[in-house]
Amino acid sequence: MKNITSSITELEHAGMRLFAARTGTKDVVSMEGSMYGGWNMLPLTKSEVPEMVTELFDAGTAKKSKDTIREALGARGVSISFSAGGDRTYFSASCLPEDISFALQTIVECLTEATFPITEIKSAKARTLGDLIEEKSETRSVASTALSRMLYDSEHVNFAETIEERKKSVAGITRADLLAFRKTLGQGGLIFSITGDISPESTLKTALKILSKLPKGTTAVPEKHMNTKKQTFQTKTVHITDKANIDVYIGMTMPFTYESKLYRPFMLLSELLAGAGFTSHLVKTIRERDGLTYTIRSIPSGFSDKADGSLKVWATFSPSIYEKSIAMLKKEISNFLNQEITLSNLRARQVEMIGGYEVGLSTSRGLASMLHKVGIEGKQLSYVDEYPELIQAVTLEELQEVAKLISVDRMSLAAAGTFTK
Amino acid sequence: MAKASQKSVVPGISFVQELDGISEYRLESNGLRILLSPDTSVPVAGCMITYHVGSRNEATGYTGATHLLEHLLFKGSTNFNKENHKTAWELLEAKGAHVNASTWFDRTNYYAVFPSELLPDAVALEADRMRNAFLTEEDRSGEMPIVRNEFERGENLPAEALDKQVWATAFQAHPYHTSTIGWRSDIEQVSIERLQQFYNDFYWPNNATVTIAGNFDVRETLALVKKEFGVHPKSPMPFPAMYTDEPKQEGQRRTTVHRAGVNMIAIAHKTPEGNHEDIPALLMLSLILSEDKTSRLYKALVDNAKATDASIYCWQLHDPALFEAFVTLAPKTTHEQAEKIVLAEYEKIIQKGVKTAELARIKRMVRTYFATRRDGPYAFLSSLNEDLATGDWTRFVTLPEALQKVTSKDIQRVAKKYLVKDQSTIGWFINTAV
Repeated sequence: MKNITSSITELEHAGMRLFAARTGTKDVVSMEGSMYGGWNMLPLTKSEVPEMVTELFDAGTAKKSKDTIREALGARGVSISFSAGGDRTYFSASCLPEDISFALQTIVECLTEATFPITEIKSAKARTLGDLIEEKSETRSVASTALSRMLYDSEHVNFAETIEERKKSVAGITRADLLAFRKTLGQGGLIFSITGDISPESTLKTALKILSKLPKGTTAVPEKHMNTKKQTFQTKTVHITDKANIDVYIGMTMPFTYESKLYRPFMLLSELLAGAGFTSHLVKTIRERDGLTYTIRSIPSGFSDKADGSLKVWATFSPSIYEKSIAMLKKEISNFLNQEITLSNLRARQVEMIGGYEVGLSTSRGLASMLHKVGIEGKQLSYVDEYPELIQAVTLEELQEVAKLISVDRMSLAAAGTFTK
Repeated sequence: MAKASQKSVVPGISFVQELDGISEYRLESNGLRILLSPDTSVPVAGCMITYHVGSRNEATGYTGATHLLEHLLFKGSTNFNKENHKTAWELLEAKGAHVNASTWFDRTNYYAVFPSELLPDAVALEADRMRNAFLTEEDRSGEMPIVRNEFERGENLPAEALDKQVWATAFQAHPYHTSTIGWRSDIEQVSIERLQQFYNDFYWPNNATVTIAGNFDVRETLALVKKEFGVHPKSPMPFPAMYTDEPKQEGQRRTTVHRAGVNMIAIAHKTPEGNHEDIPALLMLSLILSEDKTSRLYKALVDNAKATDASIYCWQLHDPALFEAFVTLAPKTTHEQAEKIVLAEYEKIIQKGVKTAELARIKRMVRTYFATRRDGPYAFLSSLNEDLATGDWTRFVTLPEALQKVTSKDIQRVAKKYLVKDQSTIGWFINTAV
């Protein structure tokens, strides 16, 4: 793989980290950014505040109405979006090269001057409540929430709220809540990446000038406590009528964060178990050999924000073969842990991950996303080039060490769908 | 214009045309179309083979056959199989390639995006499975439950369930009646012999296009394509014709799905084929109605919380298709109310047209959107593939130009022409879980 870092410009200023890289695609500009401020900083009763803030950032500022903001963006073909996270608030944008300043100025204006009119809050609440009602019948989402509630203690950042709790939180949101949260967002922890049809150095100067208008914002994120819930086998099935397919999550928590030396071996183990594509163990057995599922994926989950996360396997099964499928799924996870963690399997997956990394960086968005991740995780820019070597350096012993932490007998299982006798 | 050097770089391959960096060639011995779009700014390349066959070419008893066949083509062929450890997964994915395939109404594609050195393997594999796929009963019976579970996953989604019913109601004779995944009973019972016949009917070089994008050498790649695909003759028989025209619709149609889920409506109107001269104006109309937060349906339904989502799909297919609105209702909104609001927005455009500023805004958005189609090999291949499926790949280049020429009057004219009650099909998903 060629040296990528040499084509990336980085700037650090007042705690902010900015990255820029030119790619070969004409007229395409991708931006990704984030700063400290998220639901981990709020009491549980206010957990829905960041989501509503990000939804209403463009619904009017001190200077402009929502129509003025949205029509100005549309007139230039600029797309911006905001989203909420645990420790961070995220933004992204795409635009033509000549509109970079405009896009960034609009983002900063939304972040600093959004007014959250009462009528907009009322509408946003109604939409969110509608979405939550819809979510009650979404089998995958329901199963995922059920598993998270079994895996984590109720004070852990990855413990999922129920839909009813979220509805209550949404109903209680006030304009003051939104304004107060918005004021916590600023330069603190700001990471920004921009890629595409740009001149990196001058673009970064422009970006820094505009982003420097943000207030200081939140300067630290809360310390996370490790999960205290003992991992024992639990099961939860949620019956939802009229569903042709059952969504299943099986998993357990891991006693480390992404800063641990075990995290990279864990990622490789997860890929070997049921990573993307068709070469992983569960895809080869549960899907290809036994024909039990269309989808089976292993998902390292909940590791963002320096939290201790979990290993989750998601699968979909027909109601008529549900029991058989679950039995086979458990058996194959066990077989994997006992028999498939071998040097040859590790080496093969390392090759796949390294090749896939190169493919992933071949788009402007993929590169912007990687640079943003480097910033969030506090890594040096050289990490972009070192990543393949770091993957290659993972040893069988490290993989075995991670495997010892996983036991199918201590994994919990959540399923949602229409269960037949 | 093409450079002279492009025209005859490899004997046996003729240069056809070049448009905006995309060169078309033809393998003379068998009629395979080749499209090349080199880009040295990326270290990767992508290869996609598009077969001009889709669920449009199916009939009762073997609906879903194109899609099931797509799955079976990963089970092995003479030179690339499990026994010699050269399946697509082992040969390409195991080295970092993103490998997959997809089926739609008018086409089936197989693709991989990979570090450039894997291009010879990717081309050789596609060439081999074009004519030498195993297609055994053992593989069919093993894969069927997987495809059935894919069908079941789709059935879990209210929007997909409603969409199937709307198309099945709007099209009574034409094969667009049936969703690409097919009907459950056909997925379960179609025979391997029927699938083999389907393969032998349509999987030939003169019914396919190989597209390669990214970092590669043009001359070497053409030679490679000739070497690998040149071993196949062209089809010995004419391809089975799909000659069924949809009879004229004579009045509004309605369909309902009563199921636990979420309340939704769909409003569909018949539109012409993808390469019809009215499609650019219809596309702009769809964007003005639902592209972003400035759009008319967003303002009329979502902004005021009568709905949680409103989208329009202006399908551009080989044959006449649909202009289809989907609205997910907020809890207090009735199906009748949402339907009236959408139709009232249509009527406003029919009566008064669209504003110049509205159109200008959409034209700028379109320019931004089309630029992203060149961001990496996959974006390019998948986008060009849909244009190929309509029957004319050059619309990849000409459609953006045509969209910029659309006028307010064009939009009002097509709204008046196509958004008519007699040509509509209305679907309601009625949530029974409340």
